[in-house]
Amino acid sequence: MLNQWLLDLAQYFAAQDWSIGLHESIYAYALIETTHVLTLMLFLGMLIVIDLRMLGLIFRDVSAADLAARLDKPMIIGFVVMVITGFILYYAIPVRTTQSIWFRIKVVLLIAAGVNAWLFRKRMQASIHTWARDASPPAHIRRGAIRSLVFWTGVIFTGRAIAYDWYDCHKPLPEFLQWAAGCIDPSAAE
Amino acid sequence: MDLLPFFTWLDTSLLADLSKAYGGVFAVVQMFHLVSLAVLGGMVLVADLRLLGVLLTDVPLTLVLRETRRGFDLALLALVISGVFMSSAVAMKLYYNQMYWVKMIALLVGVLFVYFIRRPLLGETPEQLRPVTRHLIALSSMTTWFTVAASGRWIGFS
Repeated sequence: MLNQWLLDLAQYFAAQDWSIGLHESIYAYALIETTHVLTLMLFLGMLIVIDLRMLGLIFRDVSAADLAARLDKPMIIGFVVMVITGFILYYAIPVRTTQSIWFRIKVVLLIAAGVNAWLFRKRMQASIHTWARDASPPAHIRRGAIRSLVFWTGVIFTGRAIAYDWYDCHKPLPEFLQWAAGCIDPSAAE
Repeated sequence: MDLLPFFTWLDTSLLADLSKAYGGVFAVVQMFHLVSLAVLGGMVLVADLRLLGVLLTDVPLTLVLRETRRGFDLALLALVISGVFMSSAVAMKLYYNQMYWVKMIALLVGVLFVYFIRRPLLGETPEQLRPVTRHLIALSSMTTWFTVAASGRWIGFS
């Protein structure tokens, strides 16, 4: 049911002139994907610096709260550009992407990373006054930072893996993978 | 200097056998390459935006430069190691790829710039440098590493 609805939406996108134009363009798609990769340096770069501080590995002499607050703005700018370019990349190749197991894992990891970031921020704000200047933050904050690094590394891994056709729907796949990838119309994903 | 003999050797090396035979290993190394790029990007941007007076202005410049140095060095090392492995899989194709050479030249410029110009120039007391010099160092650095990352992605399209 959900898979059918997602495929219908993808096919609706795929039929639009802008989607076809982007998919067939020589430079536009490449420029958008390059921008998407460059935001890795901005968004994830800032996020990694904050998480490493929360783990007490770098900037131990700087208040963790101050560092997170100062790097927040460029990180959010990077995130917004990354989401916009990411959606455009999906829009350019919607049918294959919708039926990609890697894309689906990536979306799940993105949601997990988002929930973790929300909880992390909430817990940090609740207790920051007790450890802001500590070289090494408390264990629950360190665990949150590790989860963040694991989720975002997973997002990079699965994002890159979308380009590979190892588990594409037109290949012989176990039933579970076919279901998880949402393989309804294998020919549409080739 | 023609590097064709080196690429011919690389194309038939043990590394190439490994990277060509195991597509999964190649993909995993490629993903580590991207993670290293993110770490390098973070270190470069934090340090350079501080040099420009845009970010972390209330943190001493010397401290920011010191704290980002080790992460940069490790990320660069990981990028080069994973990059050599990836290159071995398609060595001959890369030798004739114009964008690959743009990336290699930008990378060489970046490495020389960091270790022979930027670090000696900033030295122990970067605050004493004129602001215009600090800004020029930051802009050159960001432009170079931006070119390395962008041309790297463009290799796949050309």
